[in-house]
Amino acid sequence: MDVFLTSPWIPPEWVRAHGLQPRGIWAAENLQRLPCPLSAGVCAFAESAVRFAQSRAESAAVFSTACDQMRRAFDAAIFRGQRQAFLFNLPATWQTAAAGQILRSELERLGRFLLAMGGRAPSPEQLWLEMLQAGRTRKLLLESARASSSRGFAEAVARFHWDGSFSPPPPAAPADQIPLALVGGPFLASHWKWLDALEAAGGRVALDATEMGELSLAPPLESETVAKDPFDTLFRGCLDNTIGVFQRPNARLYSWLKPRLASRQARGIVLWHFTGCDLWRAEAPTLRETFGLPVLLLEACAEPGAAPRDLNRLQAFVETLR
Amino acid sequence: MNASPRKLTLDEWDDRHEQLRRDGLREPTYGGPLRRHVVRDRNFRLQHLQFDNSPAALRLWNFLLTENQRLHQARANGDKLVGAMKDLGTVPVMAYSLPSMRAFYPDGAWWTPCLMECGDMLLQQAETMGLDSSFCPVRAMLPAFEHGGHFPRPDLLVCSAGAICDDFSAIAQRLEHLGHPILWWEMPRRRQPDSGETACALPGGLSAPKIQVDCVRAELGRVGQALGELAGKHLDDVWLADGIRAANRVRRTLESLRRTVYAAPAAALPALEMLVAEMLAIHFCSDREESIAVLDGLLAEAQSRARRNQFAVSADAARIFWVNPVADLRAMNLLEEIGGRICGTDYMFTHALDLIPEDLPPLEALARAALADPMVGPASDRAARIVRECRANGAEALVVSRIPGASHCAREGEIILQFARREIGIPAIELEISPVCDAMRTGLRSRLQALVEIARDRRPA
Ligand code: SF4
Ligand code: SF4
Repeated sequence: MDVFLTSPWIPPEWVRAHGLQPRGIWAAENLQRLPCPLSAGVCAFAESAVRFAQSRAESAAVFSTACDQMRRAFDAAIFRGQRQAFLFNLPATWQTAAAGQILRSELERLGRFLLAMGGRAPSPEQLWLEMLQAGRTRKLLLESARASSSRGFAEAVARFHWDGSFSPPPPAAPADQIPLALVGGPFLASHWKWLDALEAAGGRVALDATEMGELSLAPPLESETVAKDPFDTLFRGCLDNTIGVFQRPNARLYSWLKPRLASRQARGIVLWHFTGCDLWRAEAPTLRETFGLPVLLLEACAEPGAAPRDLNRLQAFVETLR
Repeated sequence: MNASPRKLTLDEWDDRHEQLRRDGLREPTYGGPLRRHVVRDRNFRLQHLQFDNSPAALRLWNFLLTENQRLHQARANGDKLVGAMKDLGTVPVMAYSLPSMRAFYPDGAWWTPCLMECGDMLLQQAETMGLDSSFCPVRAMLPAFEHGGHFPRPDLLVCSAGAICDDFSAIAQRLEHLGHPILWWEMPRRRQPDSGETACALPGGLSAPKIQVDCVRAELGRVGQALGELAGKHLDDVWLADGIRAANRVRRTLESLRRTVYAAPAAALPALEMLVAEMLAIHFCSDREESIAVLDGLLAEAQSRARRNQFAVSADAARIFWVNPVADLRAMNLLEEIGGRICGTDYMFTHALDLIPEDLPPLEALARAALADPMVGPASDRAARIVRECRANGAEALVVSRIPGASHCAREGEIILQFARREIGIPAIELEISPVCDAMRTGLRSRLQALVEIARDRRPA
């Protein structure tokens, strides 16, 4: 059975260890395209997740509480009759024992849900194997991040989120393109054309810090020696490596960005956000002030061809950084 | 002084105030004519509102509109000020348990653009700070913090995180980046206990798994420690229990008031004053003892009117259940102008109206009360309570008033409306009310009018 995950912070290895197929919903090529902005201020990504999950009655969907929109998307899914859905309570804080307890218990609860969906109880060895495998793939992706083409890297990460596999992304063509950081919310397959447009405008993504990009690739396990309690290692990995805009405070996001923006020599930030996404949108001034870089807000909407104004803005942004 | 209930304009209140004074009205220190809130504080919206004519209502308005001055005075007297953000009703109970401590909601800046008819420029300033109209009016809080003038800078800022709206979460985070440290505490999204989990009963007929109650209790323990450190005292169970009892005194009075006004065949007090009165529950408008006195006054007035068979809104008015606070207070007047009346409300803090259990250890009781927040649970729980109260109070129609930009409104309105239509089959609409709704007044009026007419048409002949 496919289990669609709406957040990269819900560990796919936990699903796979139950014998089910985790799939990052954002990586689905046919994630429904909705007119945007949606009239009611609904985040189009959250709404797409609801509709996609509804259209796959034979699958299960795991929503997260990372933002109000997604939390309420779950409410909407249930209200519309979705039965095989689970809401994972991702704590916004991580510094306290209480937050840890919530996270641990949510992983356990998710495990029970997966069993109810027909999964099998994972042995510690199976879980460890899945964790190792996922860790290795993340490591390969992270190692390839610097030298890959913008679009190739996005596709490779999406592939990993879709089926867990690794396909080496093509290297970036050597050119004097302006290195930029792409920061923000979900960057879907339907958005990849923006990367082509960016390169055509003379820029390139030196750092893909979108939620489902490099930001979603937790560092590999410290040791490959089998842990005494793999579940505990999984839990601690989640607690330590979740880096989201929804966290309070969101200092981890900024600590993560700082060295990477410097080492990738990013000259500007493209802040990618869905209409109605308050969490990312509100970060624009803080990103500007913290890193002293120009920030371009780009709304996740149509393809570049269908949004000439935004395309112009992107081109002008790159132009001014020359 | 017991005049028949009537709505007065601000001009009319000037004369009435003079008359009341001549007749020997004794007011608290914050009393005086309402006009001064326009002249001194530029609360221009008051010029366009209709107020109840009772001395109890006068006291209520003066209490509300002097909060800033009273907070400054409290600080000058040595009190510590806590900015409680987002939880609406729990942290203030803890803060007021300590002597010489007051809590207020900077979120209250929500209504400043309305009261000042945007003359404060807070929304425009928020826009230059990166918060445009895609955020709810609470964005006014950010410039209010930065530029001062609307409330004193608190000595401690506390904000719940997790199951809260994106608007507030984002704005509070921005506030912290601007150098206002925040104590964040985790509020998990409430859920039903799974089979095999220990269930805890919450106020409002809800339940949650023990693990969530434990988490919130531990988090509130952390908040309590910070409050104690600020006060230089240990916030122990004895103080907390006293604080809970005092908060329940407020809640009981409010409950009596709501019952007297909402459940009765006709409304003894207007919707606008009732909205303000309900707001007192969340942080006592920065003075717990005085808020009790204000509510006692309103309750006495409402009961006296009911005994005299005199009402602020006629018995013929359509009985409307109202969901969410209105960004423009004038909308409450409008509803009554066109023949509606409020018979029940959910202004997003029903958990601050329910009694906090007094038979549990205080932090446990507060954790359960906090988890009963309608905004931290599923929309269907909120809808179920609304339907229950619609039934109990004989609602003839339902209005979900949409808050512009609010992340939760994008979804929950639809769920509440459908749930209500399905369960009780009353006419229901959703409408958006901006902080100054004059421009859309005609459209708003006709939609509300249509609703009222439909509700009346459905009455048995
Ligand atoms: S894009 Fe923003 S609003 Fe939409 S689900 Fe993600 S965090 Fe929430
Ligand atoms: S979005 Fe709603 S809950 Fe949040 S601050 Fe605005 S009005 Fe309050």
